Amino acid sequence: MTLTENLFENLRLELRRGCLTLAVLAQLRQEYYGYTLRKALAEHGLDIDESTLYPLLRRLEAQGLLESEWREEDKRNKRFYRLSSDGLQIFGQLLGEWQAINAAIDATLGNATPGNTL
Amino acid sequence: MELLDRYLQAVRKHLPWQRQDDIIAELWANLEAQLEDKESGLGRPLTTGEAEDWLRQIGPPMQVAARYQPQQYLIGPAVFPTYWFVLRTVFLWATVIYAIVSVVLIFTGQAPNATAVVEAMLRLPVVLMTAAAWVTLIFAAVEFAATHYPGKCPAFPGASADWTPSTLPPLEKGSDAGNKPRSYANAIAEVIFGFLALIWLLLIPQHPYLLLGPGAAYLPASPFQLAPVWVQFYWWVVAVNVFQVAWHSVDLVRGSWQRPRTVERIVTSAFGLIPLGILLAVPNHAWVTLKHPALDLVRYGGTLDTINKSIHWSLMVIIAITVLTLIGEAGRAALDAWRKRVAARR
Repeated sequence: MTLTENLFENLRLELRRGCLTLAVLAQLRQEYYGYTLRKALAEHGLDIDESTLYPLLRRLEAQGLLESEWREEDKRNKRFYRLSSDGLQIFGQLLGEWQAINAAIDATLGNATPGNTL
Repeated sequence: MELLDRYLQAVRKHLPWQRQDDIIAELWANLEAQLEDKESGLGRPLTTGEAEDWLRQIGPPMQVAARYQPQQYLIGPAVFPTYWFVLRTVFLWATVIYAIVSVVLIFTGQAPNATAVVEAMLRLPVVLMTAAAWVTLIFAAVEFAATHYPGKCPAFPGASADWTPSTLPPLEKGSDAGNKPRSYANAIAEVIFGFLALIWLLLIPQHPYLLLGPGAAYLPASPFQLAPVWVQFYWWVVAVNVFQVAWHSVDLVRGSWQRPRTVERIVTSAFGLIPLGILLAVPNHAWVTLKHPALDLVRYGGTLDTINKSIHWSLMVIIAITVLTLIGEAGRAALDAWRKRVAARR
């Protein structure tokens, strides 16, 4: 990997990190277990590695944003996650922040596209 | 699937023991469901190669397990800037103190030689590593306390929310923000006073009172006299002064008096070491002798010894200061050159 590619990869991961949390919180307004959550996000165009998503769920739960319970489904025990009441409140605030940033970036970018950044 | 079980077993070994069962049960359920999806899509079980590719894509067991651990720092981002500042300061002072102690030990030893100098230089990395280890240990303890007892620990200096701009230190002399270029009048004054100092220096042999004041009247009656090496020393000091005045004059004529004087200071410091070295090389440290040793040795021998010992120690201190100044100037010049090179690249 060249220096530029490495730099891009680091910046890309940095950019994705916060977005993934928001996406996970958004998706967990409905109940999912790890694998189906990953599939649901992928269907919306957001691929997340297993090794990123599953620990993220644990962290968000430890922070009180998610609730979980073990339940049997298809003869297999699975851990289902959903937003907690605190999580719902913070999700609303983050969504407002996200939309403000998005609007500001859109306004800053003007007509710029990935192919034409000038 | 045996490969998946082996994979999870490897992940388990790197998980925090209190949560191992819970995490592995969840991972197993998720990965099993994913495997079933893959196999039903293919209509057959995964081959060993496909299963290996799949697990490889999930990541090495240790890396997967590490994601479940809280982020841990030996020294975290809040403390790190202070740690780095302290480490650099400790490095600088450890080097300075070590250099002074080494110079004193080498020159007061039995026989100062090149081997002793090389040995002292080879010991410097060990000294610096020991200093770095202690600083790191202390800051790691601070980080641990700040992380585990956040409410009980006082805010870290430099990272406190109570910071106000009025607590900033005043501008340093010579800093970029407050450094004005030297004026033309200043450069002319340097040359004029340089010449006057040179004339004063040249008049001293004929008129010792210019240096000693009224004390010069006692010189003929004194039982002591200076060793001939002082004449050599004197002319070298004159040469250093001539060199400085010449440099300043050339600067003035060429209109380059505003330029930094780093090179001049380095050359002058190096040049200044020559007369000091000549003095140090005097046999038996006899810088002052008796005019009539046969008559005065018993009476003034002790005093003579004390005078020569005092000169020896003074000489050692002056040499140490000159060497350190030289190292400091050379280091600063190298740093400036490096900064300019980096800035030019950007």
